[in-house]
Amino acid sequence: MDFACIQVPWFAIAIARRDDPRLAGRPVVVGGSPEEHAEVTACSAEAMAAGVAPGMSLRRALALCPGAVFLPLAASAIRAEAERLAELLRERSPLVEEAGDGHLHCEIRGLPALAGLGPAAYLAQLQEGLAGATGLPVLAGAATTVFAAHAACSALGLGFRVAGERGGPRQAIVIAPGREREFLAHLPVEVLPVEPAMHQRLRLFGIERLGQLAGLPLSALQAQFGPAGRRAWELANGRDDARLQPAPAALRVREEVDLPAPAVSLGALLAGSEAALGRAFGNPELQGRAVRIVTWWAGLEDGARVSRRLAFREPTADPRHALFVLRAKLETLRLPAPAVSVGVELNGACSEYAHQQLLWAAGQGRRRELDEAIAQLHARAGAAQVFRIVEVQPWSRIPERQLALVAYGS
Amino acid sequence: MVTDPGASAGARGLRFLNRPRGLAVEADAAGEPRAIAWQGRFRRVAAIHDRWRIDDEWWREEVARIYFEVELEGGRRLTVFRDLVGGGWFLQPYRAPVFTAGTPGAGGRIP
Repeated sequence: MDFACIQVPWFAIAIARRDDPRLAGRPVVVGGSPEEHAEVTACSAEAMAAGVAPGMSLRRALALCPGAVFLPLAASAIRAEAERLAELLRERSPLVEEAGDGHLHCEIRGLPALAGLGPAAYLAQLQEGLAGATGLPVLAGAATTVFAAHAACSALGLGFRVAGERGGPRQAIVIAPGREREFLAHLPVEVLPVEPAMHQRLRLFGIERLGQLAGLPLSALQAQFGPAGRRAWELANGRDDARLQPAPAALRVREEVDLPAPAVSLGALLAGSEAALGRAFGNPELQGRAVRIVTWWAGLEDGARVSRRLAFREPTADPRHALFVLRAKLETLRLPAPAVSVGVELNGACSEYAHQQLLWAAGQGRRRELDEAIAQLHARAGAAQVFRIVEVQPWSRIPERQLALVAYGS
Repeated sequence: MVTDPGASAGARGLRFLNRPRGLAVEADAAGEPRAIAWQGRFRRVAAIHDRWRIDDEWWREEVARIYFEVELEGGRRLTVFRDLVGGGWFLQPYRAPVFTAGTPGAGGRIP
């Protein structure tokens, strides 16, 4: 047992139900109120049973399920909850990969022995620990490969009964080494990590279970689906050499400056902030990189702290630009007590931003000029000189049938 | 995006992109590439990372190819194929087919 998969099915719905238990058992739709021109982001199983699906308009969802509870999309709260779950798992595993909100893979090789537990007891303890700390319906699956662990956990989420199961619904499941293929054979093809269109095509071919897929010749799947077909065949046969890819640690640079005397004036705060920003942007770890977010704070005389968060429209590596944006925030700030220090934390480091403009997004007038210039070029050369790339048969498995050049303006 | 192959425009003024380019390949008895002529000299194939076969258009001009994603000594990765109908080896970056709702044969949504 090398890998575990942790999932909270219907993550956004599970958070809403935890925060408001009255929603349990009721159809819930997340995305906004039905009057809004927005789409369904997530919906509960009860709403899905009424025909609601993510991606459809909220108005249509209301028509299909008039009794549903419509909730606003609290994207930042969902992200924060997902990050909290990941952080809790990082405390328990050395290697954690985030596959989505409320969906994590981690390595647990050797950890059950370290805890003096058997694999099943260890996984149950892990699941209970995460569920207890978050209050969410956490499911866990473990196996010798990432895909088998993922499939086992997905099977629990889909409500599939597992061989040997007795009693109430299971929250954790361990696939014994060497029995991956046998276990996977009963699962639906939807657990495969491929494009949804491939799931649909497999169903149209009458292939509904991984066992059916595993029994097909490899060449037949390759012929239909190319490399994705080969990958699906290998996974269905319990072959998976994928390794986890943990997210790189986010770079954070903090600098704090003590003010020479307690201050409340804008000038003093800006002078301290300029020094802190200068030091932070001068950090060697940030060389050649820009940042998206600056968190500013002032430490007050009474020990309290006032903070503000700046998110730039475009990443910046210029402390003067950051100070300019910060100034607008500080002008309206009224401190409850004199500040004795100011500090900044730079987050969201990324590569230096290139200011490239789109040729075709320059407005109608510019577009007409361009069209005329290209037409003149074609007339002068006597043949097309500028082309557009068009999709001809994007579904073709023959690469040279997929895309073509066509003369611009034709 | 791939380069213009310079081929003449076909019907509807289309110039198809990503046409296969002929390649000198030394294959072993099993038909797998062992060395590939790349930038003027034969380079040993260090690893074959993937292989897949496509059979298509048997109703007109049959296409049957076996593709190999190979890594040459020095780390360069190429996608090459052996033409099983006409023979010969070719270089061709592979772009997986894109299935959409309107794709012939893709069918409707499965509940």
